[in-house]
Formats: sequence, structure tokens, C-alpha cells
Amino acid sequence: MSTPSRPNTGSVLIIDLTREKVVKRKVLSETVKRYLGGRGFNSKALFDMIPGRIDPLSPENVLALGNGTFAGTALPMTSRLHISTLSPLSGILGDGNAGGEFSAMLKFAGYEQVIVTGRAEKPKYVFIEDDEVEIRDAEELWGLTTGETVDWLRDEHGDEVSVAGIGPAGENLVRFATTMVDKYHSGARGSGAVWGSKNLKAIAVIGTKGVEPADPERFYGLAKEDIDYFNRNEFVRRIYSVIGTHYGLIQWYPSWRYFQVPLSAEELPIGLRPQDLAEYEVGRTQCFSCPLACKDVYYLPSTGEYGTASEFESIYALGSNNCVTDTEAVLRMEHMADEYGMDVMTLGDTIALARLLHEKGILSRGDVKGVSLEWGDAEEQIELIEMTAYRKGFWDKLAEGYRNFAKLYGEDALAYCYDVKGVNRGWYEVDFINGVFTLSHATSTRGADHLRGRSWAYWENDKLIDIEVVRGMLEAGLPDYRKDPVGALIYGERACTLADSLGRCKGSINSWLQAVPLVWKYPVFKGTAMLLTAFTGIEFTEKDVIDATDRIYLTEMAFNVRQGIKKKHYDVKFPPEFAATERAKAQLKRHWELVDEYLERRGCDVETAYPRRETLEGLDIGYVADQIGGKEFPEWDGPVRGVA
Amino acid sequence: MTSLSRITILTKPEVQTSVQVYCLQCRDAACERVCPVDAISRDRNGAYVINYDRCIGCRECAYACPFGAISFEVEARPIKCDLCDGEPECVAVCPHDAIVYMEEKKAARELKKAKAAGVAYGLYGGKETPEYSRKKAEEAVEYLMELVEKSGELDV
Repeated sequence: MSTPSRPNTGSVLIIDLTREKVVKRKVLSETVKRYLGGRGFNSKALFDMIPGRIDPLSPENVLALGNGTFAGTALPMTSRLHISTLSPLSGILGDGNAGGEFSAMLKFAGYEQVIVTGRAEKPKYVFIEDDEVEIRDAEELWGLTTGETVDWLRDEHGDEVSVAGIGPAGENLVRFATTMVDKYHSGARGSGAVWGSKNLKAIAVIGTKGVEPADPERFYGLAKEDIDYFNRNEFVRRIYSVIGTHYGLIQWYPSWRYFQVPLSAEELPIGLRPQDLAEYEVGRTQCFSCPLACKDVYYLPSTGEYGTASEFESIYALGSNNCVTDTEAVLRMEHMADEYGMDVMTLGDTIALARLLHEKGILSRGDVKGVSLEWGDAEEQIELIEMTAYRKGFWDKLAEGYRNFAKLYGEDALAYCYDVKGVNRGWYEVDFINGVFTLSHATSTRGADHLRGRSWAYWENDKLIDIEVVRGMLEAGLPDYRKDPVGALIYGERACTLADSLGRCKGSINSWLQAVPLVWKYPVFKGTAMLLTAFTGIEFTEKDVIDATDRIYLTEMAFNVRQGIKKKHYDVKFPPEFAATERAKAQLKRHWELVDEYLERRGCDVETAYPRRETLEGLDIGYVADQIGGKEFPEWDGPVRGVA
Repeated sequence: MTSLSRITILTKPEVQTSVQVYCLQCRDAACERVCPVDAISRDRNGAYVINYDRCIGCRECAYACPFGAISFEVEARPIKCDLCDGEPECVAVCPHDAIVYMEEKKAARELKKAKAAGVAYGLYGGKETPEYSRKKAEEAVEYLMELVEKSGELDV
């Protein structure tokens, strides 16, 4: 097959808010082959457009929204929108992805990516209808919640419109505000404040053009096989489509009281069990092209509101993590976080951290000004969430987010701050899952994170869903985490990078099986290469796919190097009481051995953790090496404020 | 060849729910009666089908249908559900068995059973009662515990 000079993909839309200028740029075949789409396109754009350390809330920061190669097609679960920026929470790469219909709509309108730069003088929103792109006044929208914003835009532009935007938390520059898609789908902690800093309230899009694969018969044939697999799967039918990610409450040990005690299925408190949450459910919903329907629609009798997608993460972070066990209160908090546009995990962890610091006496009564900060006080927590979104009084400090908040109270407070590179994810022993779990937090290019590589290096979920497939993948050469944790993690990171770039959902059943298309039949990346070839008309081999994911990952590492990330930032935190023990010291030693092995196998310098020139040149991105080679970058210590 | 959908989904964004519009294959069909050239007739499966050799594209059928189940999309031709000649594709692909294809009498019995099981059809187009949702979730958890126990014994 000959390679077309321009693939059957859309253009990149570049919006400069300072000059109110819109530019469209065609995507070249070469770019698709090298960076796939979605997160790949975004990470490259950020590396190219943000040359050094800047204040993430300054106009120079870039907001990139990429819709993934397969968005809008019948290939199941491929409508995730990837949102990337320099994070105001961590000061390094901050990206994440959200479901909904936005990415499919954007594809239908003919775009692969939207890049926003500059700062508008007054609140604005962008309206895209196929080729027409308008920057419009949003003064009427400023101050509205995410739900009200979507309703307003639907009244103005019709019910088909899909919206990505922010709520009051983003406007008030809460550092863990998120981008909210179609009311309930949240992505990329911190990106909401970047929208706010740019005076951009929302992007609304209607697309009518459709998507045509290069070889429709082949592509849809493969897509149907993938749909059928999930439709037939007993786990999906009987568990996942019934209780969604609530299955994690039974399976993933949610934390109790800021991770002092992880809860087993038997210990799960009444009120937070899947069956208790189900009582509030009035239906289920899903994102575009998804046969799973993991999201519940719930009704809150006390306020008369409907909410969507109460997930495992929100229930543990806002509920058990803070000892709140009142079902409706937890659902209400989750819904408030959606409406104000805040990340539930950072929100829940930061509140829990404040409670702990108060209990330890590090936060004095004078500091917290009349708030009790008792564990489990649901009513007070509801109030706190609102005050944080509006940065009122003391809670202005909480809105700084996790590590930035702890930093205000000095070393004593930071000792209880279990972050990697400024992002919270709780603390775990290194022995847990043979070191893979903690290592994946340390090596994640967006700070501590469970979706950057962990889940797919770890067979517990896969085993429940389809044991035969796991055997097939191991036979196909996938490293076993029990014998080769580092190798398993690198494969996991590749799978996650791939999913993010294709637009595929990876968080839903938390398994290899759905993160990589067709992996259940053609392990490991062969099926993806077949799909990419059929869709784009560009010949892809399995090696091309692996190289593309490595190219993306190392570009992200280099981006963080320029933001001041050194090897020491690959550490993991333990609580001070545990850190002093021999057991902890032995575990840390093991962690650093794994980090060294990881850096070596990723082709990075083991002393500095910089990607090596020959590795980058081998991936045909020598220009990245030119940017970081032989240069000194000031050490990272959270987001930069003001001019660098 | 790709084919246009015969099912239209109307979404109600405020409650995140959808209503499906499709041909009900009425006993006494308005579309059949109004067609000036008798292009609409019943096939052996009981589906009303359009004979495109006769159709003149006047749109009378679409105006007459009380459910809005006939649309005009390509080259001014009406399109509607024709039950795919007895093997409906929508039934084949629906991941949650939300669409089933069965004999009329059996369908009436099944609906009765579903209602008895606690599914109350109300405002939300199939709103489930709290007891019904809880029971379903309990079954899912029970099955999950079974799988967890089983997978513990499995060595990959």
C-alpha cells in the first residue's frame, strides 16, 4: 500500500485568544505514523510550544485537546478526549482524558486537535460548526456551573452540541479544577484553571461530516469483532454493565481515613457498598461508541438533582478516605465536584490531608478558623467543597491543591504528603504487586498516577475477566510482573500511551483487555497495527506502534526535564512513622534498584534520569535531545509563580 | 456499502436518557394507506417495506406516520425499518439485549413478567425502583465474589 501524503484525518485548529485569531493546519501522514493522535499529538505540541519554565497560569501556557485516532468510529470505547497542558497543580506535564461525545463531534467537524494559546481580555467561548469557528462573548456564561453552561449552550446552538469547559472552580483558578465534558465527564486535573486563566469558559462543537476509514470493510470487520468480544463477555454483562467501577469497592481495597487502613470487601462500611449506591440509581449511560455503560445516573432526593458517573475513585476519595459513609452525602459531594468542575481525587485527598494535619497539631485551631475538621463530618465536608471552589477564607489555601497546600505549613506537613512530582496518589508499600505499583507512580510522566502503566502490568483484573487471554499475552512475549516487574511496567506504559493516543478508554474495566484494541485475539499490539493500517491507509507494523508509544513517552520525559525534574523526583513517600522502620528502608532500597533498571531499559541516563541522545535519535527525534542535552535546569519544586 | 440508521435516538440531556424512535409496524398503518402509488406493503415477516421502483418521493408517508418513524435522507427517498428481512441487525449488535425480536404474543407475556419483577415504566423511560436496582447490584457482587474466589486458585 502506498503512503498517502495526507491521511484521512482532519486538521489541527490553533486558537490564539490574545489576538482572537484562528488558524487551521493539515495533519501530515508522517505525523500520524510517528505520534498516532490524541495524547501523542498533544505531548508533541506541548514540547514544541512550551520551551521552558513558565507560570502555568500565564498566557504563554498551552491547552491542547486531542481526540484520538479512532474517535467517532464504531471501534468500541474510542471516544476519549485527551486534554494536556503544563499543570498548575504540579508544574510538570498535566494531562488526562474525559469521555462524553466531544471527541467524536470534533472528529465529525473535521479536526484532530484544538490548541489554545494566549489570554482573552474578557470571558469568551468558542463555537465550532464544521468549518466555521467563532470566538464569542461568554460574559453571560461566566459564573455558571458546568451543567448550567451546557444547558445554556444547548439552548443557543441546539441539543446536538457537545461541550468541553469549566465550572466556577476553573474560573477561580482552583489548582485541581478540571476540564468537564458534557456535564459529567472530567479530565486532566489542573487543566480547568488553565481555561480560567485564559478567560475561556467553553468550547462547543457540532460536527456533521462523519468519518470514513481508508479501508471501511476491513476496519469495520475488525471493529465488529472487538464489539462482539465485549458483548459476549460474562464479566462485562453481569458485573461491569450493572455496577460499573463500583466493582472496585470490592476488588481494589479503598482507603479508610487517608490510607491508614485499606478496606477489604468484608470491611466495606454499610452505605458505601455497591448495593447501597444502587438504590440511588435511576438508569445507566455511556460515552460515544461504548457497549459497556459503566456510568450510573443517580437521583438525589434531598436536593432533587440528577447526577452521573459516581465512580470508585470519587466514592473512596470523598467517602471512605474521609470516613464519610452516608451514601447520599457522598453522591452529593461527587455531583458538586462535577458542577463546580473539580477533580474528586485531589479534592478528597487534600481534605483528608487537612484533617490529618489538624489531628497531628500541625494545623492549629487558629489556622482553620472555626472549622472542626472531624473525620467523617459529611455536612461540614459539603460546605468545604463549596468554599474551596470559590476560594473563600481559609479554603483559599486548600484550593492550592495537595502538595502546594502542605508546603504552606512546612516540612512537618510535607512529611504526610504522599505525592510524586506534586500529584497525590496515597502511599503503598513497595512489596505491593512486586514493586510495580509504586514504580509506576514514580515513573508516570504526569506525577503519581494509577492509569499510566500500573493496571496493565498487573493481572488481577485480567484474570477475572478472561484468563485465556492472559495466557495468550504471556505466550506472545508480554513480561510477567512476578518475574520481571520493570519489563511488565514498560509494556503497561506503552499500552496506556497507546490507549490515550487512539482515544481508547483504559480506566473502565481496568484491564489490558479493553485498553488495547483486539489484544484478546492478536496479542499484543498486532491488532492495533491492523486497525491503524485499515483506518489511516498508512502501513503500520507492530514495531511502528511500539516505537510511536516510546517516542511519545520520552518526549514527555524530556518535557518534564525542562521543568526541572531530576532523578530524585522518582521517589515514593511513606508516612514518617513507617519511613523510620527497617522494613521501609529495605523497601526503598528495592525501589531505587527498580528505578535504575527502569531508566536503563528506557534508554535514559541512570544518574540524571535524562533520556539519552542515542535513544532519542534511534526514535528519530534527535531534536528533543538538542533541547535538553548539556543544559542545566533549575530543580523542580512545584508550579512556578509569576515570571520564570 | 454503509446504510443509514432506521432508528433515531432522541436524547433528553437533562436526565441523561434517550428515547428510541423506530417503526412499530402498526396493524393498520397510516403510511400504507396514504401512499398514492401503493409503494408500501407488508412482507412475509409482517414488516411494512417500501418498493423503491414505485416510490415517487412525495413524502406523504412521512407526514402521515404518527411516530415520526419515516425519514428522508438520501436522494429524497423515504427510509424506514424493514426488520432486515426477519434478521434485525439492531438486535444482533445491541450489547445489553435491550432490543429483542420475538413473536407478538410472547412479547406481551415477557413485558408482563418484567413489570412483575419490579421494573416500573415511568418518567425516565424505564426507571428502576430502588429495590430492583439493589437486587441487581447484589447479584453482580455475588457473581464478582465467585469470580474472585475462582481466580485466586488459577495460576496463569
